[in-house]
Amino acid sequence: MPLSSANKRALSEENKGEPALTSKRSRTESKNRELDEPESCATMTEPQKKANFSALSGNGISRHASPLANAKPGAAKKLVIKNFKEKPQIPENFEEQTWLKLAEAVGAIQRSCAIRYSLEELYQAVENMCSYKMAAGLYQQLQSACMKHVRANLQQFLGDTYDHEQFLKMMSNCWQAHCRQMIMIRSIFLFLDRTYVLQTSSILSIWDMGLDLFRTHIISHRTVEARTVDGLLNLIERERAGETVNRQLLKNLLRMLTDLQIYQEAFEKKFLEATERLYSAEGQRLMQERDVPEYLAHVDKRLNEENERLLHYLDSSTKKPLISCVEKQLLEQHLAQILQKGLTQLLDENRIADLTLMNQLFSRVKDGLKELCTAFSSYIKNTGRLIVVNPSNDAEKDKDMVQNLLDFKDKLDNIIEVCFAQNPKFVNAMKEAFENFINQRQNKPAELIAKYVDSKLRAGNKEATEEELEKLLDKIMVLFRFIHGKDVFEAFYKKDLAKRLLVGKSASVDAEKSMLSKLKQECGGGFTSKLEGMFKDMELSKDIVLAFKQHQQYLDASQAIDLTVNILTMGYWPTYPPCEVLLPSEMVYLQEVFKKFYLGKHSGRKLQWQPTLGHCVLKAEFNSFGVRKELQVSLFQTLCLLLFNENNEYTYQEIKTATGIEDSELRRTLQSLACGKARVLHKTPKGKDVEDGDKFQFNDEFKHKLYRIKINQIQMKETQEENTSTTERVFHDRQYQVDAAIVRIMKMRKTLTHNLLISELYNQLKFPVKPADLKKRIESLIDREYMERDKDNPNTYHYVA
Amino acid sequence: MPGRRRRRSPGETDWPEREKSKKAKTSSSKRGMSINSAFNNKVCTSWFREYTTKDEKCLGPEGMEKFCEDIGVEPENVVMLALAWKLQAQNMGFFTHEEWMKGMIDLQCDCIPKLQNKLEYLKSLLNDSVTFKSIFRFAFDFAKEENQRSLDTETAKAMLTLLLGGQWPLHSSFSQFLDQHTRYKVMNKDQWCSVLEFSRSILPDLSNYDEDGAWPVMLDEFVEWLKEEQGQSHNKTS
Repeated sequence: MPLSSANKRALSEENKGEPALTSKRSRTESKNRELDEPESCATMTEPQKKANFSALSGNGISRHASPLANAKPGAAKKLVIKNFKEKPQIPENFEEQTWLKLAEAVGAIQRSCAIRYSLEELYQAVENMCSYKMAAGLYQQLQSACMKHVRANLQQFLGDTYDHEQFLKMMSNCWQAHCRQMIMIRSIFLFLDRTYVLQTSSILSIWDMGLDLFRTHIISHRTVEARTVDGLLNLIERERAGETVNRQLLKNLLRMLTDLQIYQEAFEKKFLEATERLYSAEGQRLMQERDVPEYLAHVDKRLNEENERLLHYLDSSTKKPLISCVEKQLLEQHLAQILQKGLTQLLDENRIADLTLMNQLFSRVKDGLKELCTAFSSYIKNTGRLIVVNPSNDAEKDKDMVQNLLDFKDKLDNIIEVCFAQNPKFVNAMKEAFENFINQRQNKPAELIAKYVDSKLRAGNKEATEEELEKLLDKIMVLFRFIHGKDVFEAFYKKDLAKRLLVGKSASVDAEKSMLSKLKQECGGGFTSKLEGMFKDMELSKDIVLAFKQHQQYLDASQAIDLTVNILTMGYWPTYPPCEVLLPSEMVYLQEVFKKFYLGKHSGRKLQWQPTLGHCVLKAEFNSFGVRKELQVSLFQTLCLLLFNENNEYTYQEIKTATGIEDSELRRTLQSLACGKARVLHKTPKGKDVEDGDKFQFNDEFKHKLYRIKINQIQMKETQEENTSTTERVFHDRQYQVDAAIVRIMKMRKTLTHNLLISELYNQLKFPVKPADLKKRIESLIDREYMERDKDNPNTYHYVA
Repeated sequence: MPGRRRRRSPGETDWPEREKSKKAKTSSSKRGMSINSAFNNKVCTSWFREYTTKDEKCLGPEGMEKFCEDIGVEPENVVMLALAWKLQAQNMGFFTHEEWMKGMIDLQCDCIPKLQNKLEYLKSLLNDSVTFKSIFRFAFDFAKEENQRSLDTETAKAMLTLLLGGQWPLHSSFSQFLDQHTRYKVMNKDQWCSVLEFSRSILPDLSNYDEDGAWPVMLDEFVEWLKEEQGQSHNKTS
């Protein structure tokens, strides 16, 4: 090494004293020069400052510091002061001496004893050595000194008497000592680190060298690595099994592996394998042992634990693979089984919290929600089918169907809202499932919904306030929406509505109107026009009756009888079979008067009286007690009772001839009067059923606590009959709809193949039909020459204009 | 074959003339009665009159019987149907004068032997599938009662036997089906025409039958019934 040049360099540096500073400040200087003076004051403390800096190992600073060697002598021109000074000589054995000094310090650090020299002195020594171009040698010597020490540390890990934890502790201690030492050493050798090392790309920085030495000489030793990793895994496994372990130790060692850059290959892979093994076994076992809610809770616990583990000691890069591994082993593998084993139970028992958890967990894994949604939908279908389908047509079960459906829907709505976060997929799945199962049984659900609405709208139903009723109707509309055969609903609803209107039993006009507007909204005006017509009829009738009562002839005729008439437009109302009875002459006269009055106003109309729908209030006097009562009865009951004004006893046959009421109707009527709760007639012989030879007497001793008594008609057995006829009528109406649809389509398309026509029909028709029924309608239309079959291609139809 | 009686028009079997007279169809009436074989309106009319009473405009059942006897064909013979089709007769058992004239001019026949010569030709018409279809369709209107829309099943069965008896393997099954399903009292035209299509396109083993096809319900039911029957007989034999 040529000394002379080294000398020169030393000189110039001595002169300036703080070249590093100057260069560093050059930027600020250019900004404002006035600060020149105070800055030179700062120079004094600079080395110390610098030492502190480097201890913190700020790398950025060294960048700025490095160019000091070739600092421009631009500023030096101004300061040509100290001439003629003697060149200082470096001592002959300067290098050896200095290294000895430094080596001693390094040794002391490694032994953790006090250092004989001040740190500043050591730093200076390093700086000097670097300045005299001894950096390369210095680095090598330092490296070998460190290596020697690290190698010496290896032995302690090769003994075989330690258990895992002790071993790990030892390792941790060794590592920490190593780090401490290396930091210290680097601080001393900072100048070397920042100049020589930085400029030579082929060698590692002092800190990295330390790591490298530790890695190659200690950790990469096969036994040591295996022991370390095994120890770590063992510790983690113990923690997973529920023991408390020294997390700090784990953290330190894992940090060490990360720092040594062998975390991934030495540890992570094995760790994930171990995790997978553990959870795969655990998943299998617990699926067998525990029921689903417990299992889900366990999975949740596991996931939380693993997250905590990540937080506390695992490297964050492990997060994704680890969590997905747990999810896969504990959830994804068992999705189907969990759903099959537990979902029904959870839904049945409405276990909100467990279901929420299930949704959360399932949303973590691929296809989890899809599976859950499918299972959810099939649960609804199955459960719903159980509610709806009733193979034996058991009336008891049918009675509760609608209420059960509403409850079921409420429950599911709640579950979707709370547990499934109102996920639209689930909402849709539910709708589809409802539509599916509710139409599994044709017609009956529609009928029962109509009847349910009737029961709610009928007077005497005081269980609900207006708002509650409104809410209930909304819910019913939701069910109604799922029904395919809406015409069945309409037919039954109409029948019940007619009863409510005619008997004046409707609970509230507002509720009726609101239901009507809901139906209109749902199905359009065509659907409700007849129902609206019924309401209109009722209102018009009121006006007409009012006008009639002002009418002169009525005033003349109505001494004893007060007449109210409802005029029902045919077609709006359900059809009632016409029936003839023998009315008392006063009534007949009054009917005639009304008829004249009405036809006078609306000529050309035809009035037909419907005795089945009439009802009367009779004033009765029971002589033996002198009691006066009012009896609210049907027209048929009236006819029977009026007979007893003439005579005290009649036989069945006599009553029949006198009233002209049809046989079965009369039997029921008499039953209601003589065998019901309020017995205004006596029957001999006594008995429940009315026989041909029975005699009826007026019950003079009739007693009742009320003044006005309603004598109920015996409910007709014919509900079944009525029911069938309503259903039949619906089917009949459907035929017209099919015909109309076919003609509409054919008129538009002129020529169409069979299959296309059928599929168009299915698009247009809103109720379920069998293809064979459609074919029958097509044939009928061909027969009636609305369309014809192509002569050569029997699969094609033509429209016949 | 019943014997031929009564008068024969001149030139009864003049083969070469046949072609010629066909070509000269339109002019033949104007030419009047020719000795050899040319068609003569008057001869033809008088031939028609042989089968009618004086004022009748129509050849009725009795006349028809005699007519059949004269030309040597049983009334049930399918050739009679082809002839009726040629004449475009409206009602079974009757030929009106107009129908007679129009059809006979078409056939260039004014006497029995001429017509007898044409019988083979009429028979051959039945072998042409297009003509047969048209005859088949004609048969429905021909056989049904006037003012009725449909054909009663008994007549329909007889007509089917006449038309399809020889060529449709499932014919007897179909008759049996109609016998058993008494609610089919009549067949409408669509059903009638579909039977022909069915007999032509569906294999006897029903393998190419498509229940979603456009077949009238009657035929769907027939297939269903037939399958059941076949299944039963199969069970019995096995």
